[in-house]
Amino acid sequence: MSVFAMDWYLIGLLFFVGFYCMLASRSIVRQLIGLEIISKAAMLTVISAGALTANLVLAQALLITMIVIEVVVVAAGLALLVKTFRVNGNADIWRLDSLKG
Amino acid sequence: MTYHNLLFVLAVFFALWAVTAKKLLTSAIMLALLSVTVSLIFFDLGAPWAGVFELSVCAGLITVLFIGAVSLIRSDEEKHPEGRARFYALPLALAAFGIAAWFYLPPFLEELASWRRMAAGTTTLGLAIWDLRRPDLLGQILMLASGVFVIKSVFPRRTEK
Repeated sequence: MSVFAMDWYLIGLLFFVGFYCMLASRSIVRQLIGLEIISKAAMLTVISAGALTANLVLAQALLITMIVIEVVVVAAGLALLVKTFRVNGNADIWRLDSLKG
Repeated sequence: MTYHNLLFVLAVFFALWAVTAKKLLTSAIMLALLSVTVSLIFFDLGAPWAGVFELSVCAGLITVLFIGAVSLIRSDEEKHPEGRARFYALPLALAAFGIAAWFYLPPFLEELASWRRMAAGTTTLGLAIWDLRRPDLLGQILMLASGVFVIKSVFPRRTEK
């Protein structure tokens, strides 16, 4: 197996951990942690592909955009968590059903 | 095992720890360690700018945000802890996925790597960001503005009636 295939195999494992966390957990914080892990796997894939094609410059420029978006998503998610916690008194995604018809 | 592969294995280990940890604070700290490991991988792959951003923003800012949020909801977490059985099954599920992927994934990945097209010319990062990807910068500024707007609309100023 080449170096890049081995890297991508381990990135696949990292992705699986984040995916499992988002599937199994009911807490909003753990959902966001799973999202973070998945986005780390995506970032590693982008930089690894950049290194493979000797195009690290564009990969880094793309990655900086990704990091900014990730920060905004996490900040908005945590703000929603704090708001939900103040309104409902818990951070359970299964109780977010006040808009249910 | 080389230093490079060791860093990847360490990243998977920290991710596993972050997911299976009982306390949310431990999860947040393990997430920070995962970010540090990922930034070390970036340095190792020859992407120092990405590594610096990852280290300062993901390992720094996001960890602070997580720890702040966790400290706000800690009382509820201690009162109603989440069921752990599904998380203790994660290493088993990961092992099953890893063994299955070891047989099925590498041929696909090798084929994927064979499709590569080498980059035409080399530029500097400054040129790439400020000239080639200038629309991205506009998008980033709009993204940050929308994030600020979301937080402002989630926590509105209370008006006295």
